[in-house]
This record gives sequence, structure tokens and C-alpha cells, in this order.
Amino acid sequence: MKRFYTVLLSASLIFFALAPLGISADYNFKKMTPEIDQALKNRQARYSQLQDLKQEGLLGENNKGYVTDLKSNAAASSLAGAENQDRRIVYEALAEQNGLGRTGLLEVQKAFAEVQHEKSAAGDMIQDPSGNWIKK
Amino acid sequence: MGTGTAIFVAATAFTGCTVKAVGDPNRPITINANVVVDIRGLKQAATNIEDMVAQGAVK
Repeated sequence: MKRFYTVLLSASLIFFALAPLGISADYNFKKMTPEIDQALKNRQARYSQLQDLKQEGLLGENNKGYVTDLKSNAAASSLAGAENQDRRIVYEALAEQNGLGRTGLLEVQKAFAEVQHEKSAAGDMIQDPSGNWIKK
Repeated sequence: MGTGTAIFVAATAFTGCTVKAVGDPNRPITINANVVVDIRGLKQAATNIEDMVAQGAVK
């Protein structure tokens, strides 16, 4: 147990020393698998349509890094399902390839949710951390 | 402690899990594994990926 705390303390000291220098961990895809590549291409292919449905208020960015069908529209629901499936591939690959584990996956999803919210256009529906849907 | 350090500490999450393995019923083994996740690094990765998706979007 003493050894565990020594390692944890050492890791913390390294982080504290690097923090003022603006250095952060570099997370990325260590290996671009065909599955990840296809998921990214799928997302690029549906990007414009996704933005249109978000502007129409049919889809919103939830607080877990995925899109939600807000008005039970069949076309929007279908697109959301496909988009979320590809996002999950990306999130799981990022967590797995960077050794973040299952709990790390939740942090990955949270980070993507924050970025999706920041990138959302004015008028898009976004879900805040407490679960409320608001118009940006 | 500088402002940068304070922000870094706030932006760093400690996540963990517990794995319980039972070999000898009288001597259960508990292993604690902790993973340090740098939220700022994750947000940067997310931003890079989302930028790539948007820039490569089919018009």
C-alpha cells in the first residue's frame, strides 16, 4: 500500500510540475483501424444533414456525447442511431487505445459532450450537465 | 501554488475501479486500480477529432 501511495504522489508531483508549462496528456488514436476510419468517414458523410436536423430542433446534443431525437421524428431518429453508433466506436477506441479503461470512457464521452456543446450553432438544442435541454 | 497549477488540478480527474478476486475464501484479495485522466488533454483530442469530421464533411 505504501508503494501505491508513493507512485501516486510521484505522478501528482510530475503533473504539478508540468501544469504551469501548459503541458497536458496527448490522447489520440494509436492505431487507425478500419473500423475507426469507417466511423469517421460515416460521420463526415452525414455531417451536413446532422447540422440541418439540429437547426430544425429535431436533434439535440445530450450531455453524454451523443445526439438525441427530441421530437420522435423517424428520419431524425434513424440518423441519430447511426451517428451514435459511429461516435461510440470513436469514444471506445480512444479510451481503449489510451489505456483509460471503462471509467475513462465516461470522461471521454463527457469531454466530447462539452466540445459538441461549444461547437453547436446558435439555436441548436443542448443538454446541460444537470439534464435540462436549453436552446443555445 | 500558481493559477496554472490550480486550474490543472481542477481539470484532472482521478477515476478508479475495484476488482475483487477470491481464491482462498478465508483470504479474499482486493486490488485497487486508479487511472489518472487529464480532462484538458481529452478535450483537446475531442476538439481535434470534431474539427477533422467537420472539415472533411461531404457538402
